[in-house]
Amino acid sequence: MYDLGILLQIVFWGIYAGCIYILLATGLNLIFGVMKIVNFAHGEFLMIGAYVTATVFFLTGFNPYVIILLSMLALIGIGAVVERLCFRPILGTSKLNEIFLSIGLIYIFQNGAAMIWGDEWQSIKSPYEGITVPLGSLTVPLDYIIIMGVTAIILCGLYLFLKRTKTGREMRATSQNRKGAMLVGINVERLDILSFGIGCGLAAAAGTLWVVSGQVFNPYMGSIPAVKAFAIIILGGLGSIPGAIIGGLLYGIAENGAAYFLGGVWKDAISFIILIIVLVIRPTGLFGESGE
Amino acid sequence: MKYSVLFIVILLIAAFFAGCTQPAQAPSQPSEIKVGAIVSMTGPNSNIGKNMWQSAVVAADEINANGGVFVKQYNTKIPVKLVQGDDESTRDGGQKVATKLITEDKVDILVGGYSSGVTSAYQQTVAEYKIPYIVTGASSPIITHRTDIDTSTVFHHCPTTDAYGKYTTNFIDQVIRPAVNKKFSFPADRPFRLALLYQDTAFGQGVQAAVNETITKNNLNIQLVSQQSFKMGDSDFRTALTKIKEANPDAVYVAAAPNEGAQIIPQARRDVGLNTIFLAVENNDAPEYYKGIAQYGEYSIIESRFSPYLTPKGILSDAQTAFKNKYFAKWGTYPDMMGASTYEGTYIAAKAIENAGTLTKADTRQALMDLKMPQLIEYMKDSTISFTKDFRESQFDLWMEQLQYNSTIGESRPNIVWPDNLKMTEFVLPDWYKPGNP
Repeated sequence: MYDLGILLQIVFWGIYAGCIYILLATGLNLIFGVMKIVNFAHGEFLMIGAYVTATVFFLTGFNPYVIILLSMLALIGIGAVVERLCFRPILGTSKLNEIFLSIGLIYIFQNGAAMIWGDEWQSIKSPYEGITVPLGSLTVPLDYIIIMGVTAIILCGLYLFLKRTKTGREMRATSQNRKGAMLVGINVERLDILSFGIGCGLAAAAGTLWVVSGQVFNPYMGSIPAVKAFAIIILGGLGSIPGAIIGGLLYGIAENGAAYFLGGVWKDAISFIILIIVLVIRPTGLFGESGE
Repeated sequence: MKYSVLFIVILLIAAFFAGCTQPAQAPSQPSEIKVGAIVSMTGPNSNIGKNMWQSAVVAADEINANGGVFVKQYNTKIPVKLVQGDDESTRDGGQKVATKLITEDKVDILVGGYSSGVTSAYQQTVAEYKIPYIVTGASSPIITHRTDIDTSTVFHHCPTTDAYGKYTTNFIDQVIRPAVNKKFSFPADRPFRLALLYQDTAFGQGVQAAVNETITKNNLNIQLVSQQSFKMGDSDFRTALTKIKEANPDAVYVAAAPNEGAQIIPQARRDVGLNTIFLAVENNDAPEYYKGIAQYGEYSIIESRFSPYLTPKGILSDAQTAFKNKYFAKWGTYPDMMGASTYEGTYIAAKAIENAGTLTKADTRQALMDLKMPQLIEYMKDSTISFTKDFRESQFDLWMEQLQYNSTIGESRPNIVWPDNLKMTEFVLPDWYKPGNP
C-alpha cells in the first residue's frame, strides 16, 4: 500500500530533524541535570548560534561546518556569562524566579539580536548545496548526511567527556547528587558554569546545522524548537542524556510521520500526544529516574 | 435713577441679541489628521510590515508636501500624521495595538493589516468604535464577508484569496496545461495534475477553497492530486513535498508567506527532487523572496499586481517608477506589493476625508462607500479605485510572472507572461521539467 522508498525518505527527514532536536535537548538536559534549573531561553542560544555562524560565514566565507566550532566556543562563553550573572544569584530559590528570569532573557536576546542583525529572516548556502548521494534506495542531499555525521561526532565527544574525563565524572556525580558532590569536595559552582556553557554550545551547534540545511532564521526562531526540546527531555526523562537522544529521534520521526500520514497540521500535535501517552504509562519519562 | 435702569435694560437687551447673533463656536480645528497604520514591525511578518509602513510614510510625505488634506469643515488643508501600530505579527499584538490606536491615539482612520488571522482578531474593536479601516494586506475574504460582527466600516484594498486563487487556476488551465500537453504529446483531454501546498490559516484555506471552486464551477480539466497543509511559521516542508512528489503532479500551487515560500521551492527542488512548475501567491513578489529562492526559483510563477523588479508598460509605468524611486531614495530598498497597496491606502484615506469634508467617522465611511478616484500605481478594473457595494472590495487587474535566473546577481527576476495585453515574454517549460503521470 505504501511505497517503501517514500517511507524511508520520511524516516530520513525525521532523523535529520531529530539531529537538531537532539543537540538542543541534550544541552538543556545537561544544564538541568547539573543545576536543576529550567531555562526557557535555551532556544535563544540556538538562534544566536545561527547568527554567529551566518555572520562569520558572510565575513570570511569559511565553510560553515568549520564555523560550528567557533559558534560553539562563542556560545560556551556567552552561556558562562549568563550563568554567572543571571542564574547563579537565583540558584536554589523559587522555581518561579527561574521561569520569569528565563522568560525575560528570551525578550532580551530576541530584541538584542534584532538590534544587532535586524529582524528580517535570512539564510545562507552550504558549499555542498545541490550535491546528492545515493543511500540505499534513496538519493539524499550530502548536507543532511554531514549534519547527521556532525551530530554523531558531537554526541560521541560529549559521551567521552562525561565518561572519560575527571571533570565529566564530577559533572555526572553532581547531576546524581549535588550535595553529595559538594561534600566530597567537588567545586559545583565551576561545574555549573561549565555545564551551562556546554549546554549553550550544543544549542549553538544546533543553530549552525539549522542554517547550513538552508532553513531561514530570524531573532524569533528559537521559541518553537525550545518548546519541543522541553517536550523531548520530559519524554526521554529529565536529566537523562540517552533519553534526550532517543526522545529527539523519536520526536523527529514522529513529526514527519504524522505530517505524511495525517497531514501537516498534526506535525506538532503528534509529538505531544506521544509525550502524554509516555507520561501516563511511565511518569518519569523513557529513561528518567524517580525523584527527578 | 430712571436713566440708569433704562441703560441697564438696554445693555441686557443688547447683550441678549448679541448672544443670539454671534456665530456658534466653531469646533476647534485639529492640527493634524491621524492615520493609524497597523503593520507588523516585529515578528515573522516584519519584512512585509516594514515595507507597508515605509510605503505609507512615502504617501504621507507626498500628501503633506502638497499642504495636507483639504477639509471643507475647516476650510483649510490639514497635514496627515501617521501613527504606527505594531501588531507584532500576533493576534494578541494586533488586538492590543488596535485598541491603543483607537482609544489612546484617537486616530481618524486606519490603514494596513497584513495577516488575515491577525487582522480578524481585532475587527471587533474596529466595529465597536466604528472606525473606517482600509485593509491593504490581509487577503482572506472573511475580513469583509464575516457576519458575526459589523464589518461595515472595513474596506478591502487588496485582492482576496478568491480573486487570485481563481486567476491562477485559470492561468494554469489556459497556459500551463496546453503547454504541457503540447511538449509531451499528451492528449488534449488529459486532466492536468495540480498539487496544492497551503498554509493552514484563513489565507491558505481561502486559496484552497478558491482553487477547488474555480475548477468545479468552470468544469476545468484540472485534477487536484494532492492537497497538503502546513502550520504558519513552519520551516521544514520536506515531508509534505515528498508526499506531493509521490502524487506525480504537473505543477504545485503554493499558498504561503514569503518566508515560507522562499524555503519551499529550494527544499522541493534541491532536497526532494521535485522538478516541476511552482506557482506562488502574490504576496511573495517581494525582494526577500527573490533572494531566498535564488536559482531554484527559475521558471517558477508568481501571480502579481505590483513587482519590485518589473514595471509593466502602460499608463501607470511612470507613476510606479516614481514611487519605487522615492521609496528607494528614502529607505534604500524596493517596495513590495503590500507596500504598494498601503501607499494607495494612505491616499485613499486622505481622499475619503477630503470628500467627506469632515473628520466625522460616519461621513468618512460614507465617502469611502461613494469613492471613485483614478487608479494610482496599481492597475484597477475600469482604471478606478472604488469599493463594491456588497463587501467593500476594490477590484484589481492581475498578471502572472515567470522568473528567469540571473547568474550575475544570483537571483531570479520576473517577466509578465499573462495576460496577453501585458505579456513581456512567452511562458516556458524548462528542460528539467518533469510532468506527472501521462
